[in-house]
Amino acid sequence: MPLGTLDRTPPPFFKQGPSALSKLMVCSALALFLMVADSRFRITQPIRAAVATVLFPVQWLSMRPVLAVRTVQDYFISLNSALTNEEAARRKLILQSARAGQVEQLLNENTQLRKLLGLRERLNTPTLAAEVLYDAADPYTRKVVIDKGLAQGVEAGSPVIDESGVLGQVTRVHPLISEVTLVTDSEQAIPVLNTRTGNRGIAYGDAGRYGSGGLELRYMAANADVQPGDLLTTSGVDGVYPPGIPVAKVAKVERRPDSAFARIVCYPQAQVDGVRHVMVLKSLLSQIPPRPAPEDATPAQKKLPARAARSATP
Amino acid sequence: MIMRPGQPLLLPANPLFIWFSLVAALMINMLPLGRQAWMPDVLAVTLVFWSVHQPLRIGVIVAFVFGLAVDVHQTSLLGQHALAYTTLTFFAITIHRRLLWFTVPSQAIQVLPLFAAAHAIELAIRMVAGGAWPGPLFLLAPVLEAALWPVASVLLLLPQRRAPDPDENRPL
Repeated sequence: MPLGTLDRTPPPFFKQGPSALSKLMVCSALALFLMVADSRFRITQPIRAAVATVLFPVQWLSMRPVLAVRTVQDYFISLNSALTNEEAARRKLILQSARAGQVEQLLNENTQLRKLLGLRERLNTPTLAAEVLYDAADPYTRKVVIDKGLAQGVEAGSPVIDESGVLGQVTRVHPLISEVTLVTDSEQAIPVLNTRTGNRGIAYGDAGRYGSGGLELRYMAANADVQPGDLLTTSGVDGVYPPGIPVAKVAKVERRPDSAFARIVCYPQAQVDGVRHVMVLKSLLSQIPPRPAPEDATPAQKKLPARAARSATP
Repeated sequence: MIMRPGQPLLLPANPLFIWFSLVAALMINMLPLGRQAWMPDVLAVTLVFWSVHQPLRIGVIVAFVFGLAVDVHQTSLLGQHALAYTTLTFFAITIHRRLLWFTVPSQAIQVLPLFAAAHAIELAIRMVAGGAWPGPLFLLAPVLEAALWPVASVLLLLPQRRAPDPDENRPL
């Protein structure tokens, strides 16, 4: 075949198949079509799911060495650090048990008050625990892949949290795995509530910042009451995230004279780097009543009397 | 057959070994080592290597299929790696007759622009599609890939460098 090997069959002289250039043109046209179909029309999910399922055994196999190294590392963590962890956990437990006692009482009180007010009961979200398989290696996005998929009933759009806050949202579901877009991804936005002031806003992912990314609270007026250290939680107005889950903490507020908006930089509260165990919440969209249909704008009818009046005046 | 002076005559390549090396490279790419922009793409190196050494077996279409697999694994835009790998193997096939006349280190320097072009294609696609800037470290990736070329030249040609007539003194 090529130069310098002892091949037993000579290379074909005439029948060489289509030329490399024609193959290149066909394949790159196909690739371009796939990219457009993926980013604009979002019709490539079956292809992705099929490839992901075929790829799953290979992925499983290639994850073994790293998992083995992790297990060995975990094994050799000294007794000392285990004891410190236990001590910290106990202290946290004591702190929390005091609060937990209050929560019982508050829940009772809350149900009574809500009944009194005739309000809709607070939405209860079913959850599903999942493990993060790997951080997606694509450096242009911030995504992780979890080990639960269609087979376990994960739905696209479901919020994903870890023990300290909102991690992100399920954006693609394959048969056995799903992709979670982190809150720090540039295309991810999340409605938040400032717990100190009660102001609502929208936090956008800011992937280029602080290693693996931060968030930016956009469209807040330059004189808005936001201070470094403010905790932002989900506001729940979107119907996707349940209200009251911590999202980010304000790190820096820049008020610039040349702009009507302040530049507010936040750190995510969830552990966006190297998180292992997460919780997938069911999206609330199925539980809340449907949105009212938008009213048709009827400018013609409104304008008609005005025109009639104008034509009548001269 | 015209050959470079001092070039060893190699045994025929085993197609099974070629496919095994490609799948192994895919698995190395899939190691869950986190999100590092400078991580060299071992699969790209292997694809270029085989399309230079065995252009009739490994070519544009194989690269396209492997590119799709990488796209799905990395959750990037479907077709992004496929396009990059297709272009990469096309240029590798274009230069394969010339490249093997050089020594391995100078081959590595000549494949560096290929890898740089592949990464530039990916960067351009993602910037158009609205991705985040990956940081300056990603410029290291093509350099590291070119640095892997000599390693690939040794490792992937090992089965072809065995003795043609193994006996008791030379079992391999």
